[in-house]
Amino acid sequence: MFPKLDPLLHSELRLAVMSILAEVESADFSYLKKQTSSTSGNLSVQLDKLSAANYISVEKGFKGKVPCTTCKITETGMEAFHNYVKALQEYISK
Amino acid sequence: MENNNENNMTAQESLNLINEVLNNSRKSILSKNGKHFILWGVLLTIVSFVIYELWHTTGNPNWNLLWVAMPIIGFPMVKIISKKDADTPQNAISRQISGLWLAYCAFVMLIFVASVFFLKPMQMNLSLIIVLLLGFTECASGIMLKNWTIIISGCILGVGGAFAAQSVQSAEQLLLFVFGGLIIMLTGLIVKSQYK
Repeated sequence: MFPKLDPLLHSELRLAVMSILAEVESADFSYLKKQTSSTSGNLSVQLDKLSAANYISVEKGFKGKVPCTTCKITETGMEAFHNYVKALQEYISK
Repeated sequence: MENNNENNMTAQESLNLINEVLNNSRKSILSKNGKHFILWGVLLTIVSFVIYELWHTTGNPNWNLLWVAMPIIGFPMVKIISKKDADTPQNAISRQISGLWLAYCAFVMLIFVASVFFLKPMQMNLSLIIVLLLGFTECASGIMLKNWTIIISGCILGVGGAFAAQSVQSAEQLLLFVFGGLIIMLTGLIVKSQYK
């Protein structure tokens, strides 16, 4: 019996965002946009979905006078990401 | 990535995507570290060579006070070169390497200040200690980056430098730091090319 893949993570852009955030302490919106080659609108929507599931925390602030959105993976998000990778490995190995 | 938001990836595609994204992110983070290595390497080479020349020609060791130029020039330069990739975050490796080099700077500054004000009668061989620590820090950075060239360079710099510091006298000892600066610069170039 294969484990069920988390539908929230089984999407290209959300998975890419979670992969980046699993590696770093926190990342700016502009960095995520550059690394995922996505549009601001689409990235915002996907970040909102991850945030609503408590997979990431989103903090809005300023860097000098420039608005800045910082994203950070939560413990729930990290656990979900690990479970997702584990499930993927099981799919491939069977 | 833009037009493919929903669940139509295979397990293999998902794993490939995770690998690709992680690798790209790691590259951009560590390439930033490479720039810092190059900056400090160039600065160390220039400052130590200038002090060597001044000390060698005038015979006055007080030119060593010019070492203060390193942080005065270095830290503002770091701010300038970091502006371009200000949004690039740090990962575990880059954070550990930064911490390691900051610890090295703190050790060197403390030893330098202590030797000037308190330890003068002990005739401490400052160059030996500083070059040994420099080699060790370089070697530890190589271990974190899993790069044998950097590990071996660090060993040669630390151990070879310590022996050389014992055998050469006064102004000539500064040539060790010119060599050290070149090694750090080389490290930066390796890191940049490895994570291009």
